Amino acid sequence: MMGSVSEQMRRRLWSFIGCLVLALVAFGCGRSGRATKSYRVAVIPKGTSHEFWKSIHAGALKAARELSGEGVQVTVDWKGPLREDDREQQIQVVENFISQGVDGIVLAPLDDRALVRPVEEARRAGIPTVIIDSALASEAIVSFVATDNFKGGELAAERLGSLLQGKGKVLLLRYQEGSASTHEREEGFIKRLKERYPAIELISSDQYAGPTRDTAKRAAENLLNRYGEQIQGIFCPNESSTAGMLLALQDIGKAGHVFFVGFDATESLIEALRNKQLHGLVVQNPFNMGYLGVRTMVRYLRGEPVEKRIDTGVMLITLENLSTAEAQALLHPPLDEYLR
Amino acid sequence: MEERDEISVVASEEALTRVSGPSWVRLWLGRVGPFLGLIFVLLVFTLLSADPAQYLSPRNLRIVAAQTVIIAVGAIGMTLIIVSGGIDLSVGSAIALTGVVTALGLRAGWAPSVAVLAGVLAGGLIGVINGLVITRLRVIPFIATLGMLGAARGIAKWLAAQQTVNVPETWVNELAVTFPARRWMFFAPGVWLALALAAIVAAILRNSVWGRRVFALGSNEAAARACGIDVENLKTSVYGLAGLFFGLAGVMQMSRLRQGDPTVAVGTELDVIAAVVIGGASLSGGEGSILGSMVGALIMALLRNGCQQMGWPNYVQEIIIGAIIVLAAVVDRLRHVRRLAET
Repeated sequence: MMGSVSEQMRRRLWSFIGCLVLALVAFGCGRSGRATKSYRVAVIPKGTSHEFWKSIHAGALKAARELSGEGVQVTVDWKGPLREDDREQQIQVVENFISQGVDGIVLAPLDDRALVRPVEEARRAGIPTVIIDSALASEAIVSFVATDNFKGGELAAERLGSLLQGKGKVLLLRYQEGSASTHEREEGFIKRLKERYPAIELISSDQYAGPTRDTAKRAAENLLNRYGEQIQGIFCPNESSTAGMLLALQDIGKAGHVFFVGFDATESLIEALRNKQLHGLVVQNPFNMGYLGVRTMVRYLRGEPVEKRIDTGVMLITLENLSTAEAQALLHPPLDEYLR
Repeated sequence: MEERDEISVVASEEALTRVSGPSWVRLWLGRVGPFLGLIFVLLVFTLLSADPAQYLSPRNLRIVAAQTVIIAVGAIGMTLIIVSGGIDLSVGSAIALTGVVTALGLRAGWAPSVAVLAGVLAGGLIGVINGLVITRLRVIPFIATLGMLGAARGIAKWLAAQQTVNVPETWVNELAVTFPARRWMFFAPGVWLALALAAIVAAILRNSVWGRRVFALGSNEAAARACGIDVENLKTSVYGLAGLFFGLAGVMQMSRLRQGDPTVAVGTELDVIAAVVIGGASLSGGEGSILGSMVGALIMALLRNGCQQMGWPNYVQEIIIGAIIVLAAVVDRLRHVRRLAET
């Protein structure tokens, strides 16, 4: 019996050694790195399925194309976490890019603390990081290229306040725990509402929509079930929470009967704006964010000075200004031109 | 596996002398399948890669090792459970909960070792509760642990007040760091710890009376009971011991994130189960090895790393891992057919 066990062990050991030998042979045959001087920039979003991230991707590719036209070869490696809301998965993506030895990383961190370690490890490995979209609690970064989210929240509060003429009950459905950008929007909204419209009551502000439209819709349904008859106004701080809330309102036939201000824009949300189911959308400029993110990274890599904080702009879009050139440029970034 | 396996090894060596090539290959394939998979993955990415030296560089291997730790430690526990004929779906939630417990302890100013111990014991407690629900309330493991999947996740969010729990700088943060501060260690302390624990548990499972009973339980519960084994307490001990490993995985997860995150590791139980199945375990129990499970965990991390290096989108690696899981089960099936034919 013992003989057969050790026989088994021996076979396993041999196959392990075989594996090592193969690995070493392959290692020895390896061709060595790139010859021409070019920059390889990794762009890491929080997820890949939202239209928001596709705009960032297109903007990043536009920057790369422009730079190539100027004689600086830039390739963009686009990779999001396998599970969209999972910090561990995003850390792994950053680590794997460190291992590949990219020249720079442009990162939209899922968490302002959890991504600090890999970003600092990247810097120790000589790879600089530009943070986009959401803040990172670290000094080890080149620049922070993002929307002024607090201001975005304030714009939403102004819109709801004036629509409600300074009175009534409103509801805030938060996005997700630990997301810095949406947290700032929520705080900006709450602060401006309290300051300018003290007669408006914020009836619920402690519920979270979660990562997807589906989780947002469920959270919205539960909230509307409880407060639906009392409220006159709603604010949601990002695309998925706005979309989920809109779906829930449509299901119970209340869409258009409450003032609803959302954040970020997609085709379905613009449609809702036209149908007067939405009364305002605070819109960021993700295309510009991706564009400036890569631009800033390359500037830094070429030894040019960069700003520590770069604002990419916000705008309130309503039915009235929907057809202006400024709004259209924000709402319809040229995705098709860059994403194949 | 072992009781039957040793018999079948003897049988197979007899068979070797009389049976022709293909069946010998098939048997051999079953035994070293996970290793073949590992070599295959390494070879494929090495050949496809524009920069194979980078893929096989010590630096990249260290990154892969650090990324494997959580799944590997979880797979040690899951191997025990699957060998005993059970299943545990609450691993991801247990990792989140024990990570939060550890982080709360650290934030409250406990000694790091006490906080880590609390996290590990919390995992053990979850496991014991699973075991008691399964044995005393007679709920099948799938349902009992599905319930725990929800409950533990909820408790984690409640304890953490629906936020991430940030922790002060302690040595716990260095446990699963990719590049350890002490260069001579090469791998992170967590990687060495995982390897040591894997070796110890493999020895216990293979050689101790307890280990033999776990195999007996998984092979045929009625027979094990008839042989006088206290099946109820044995099962509870399996889930409890496995829970300690899930607790340790939670500590590692907290160390990697430097925070207790109640929303982390959703679906990790499926990665852990996949690692164990790729490693040659059978979900019908009585079969599996710690070594195989470790190789299974490594295969998945190498795949993820390799797919990213190739610039393939995420869905490609999801499809590949799915296919490999099924392939592993097919290899297992072939082995069974062969064995039945021999006996």
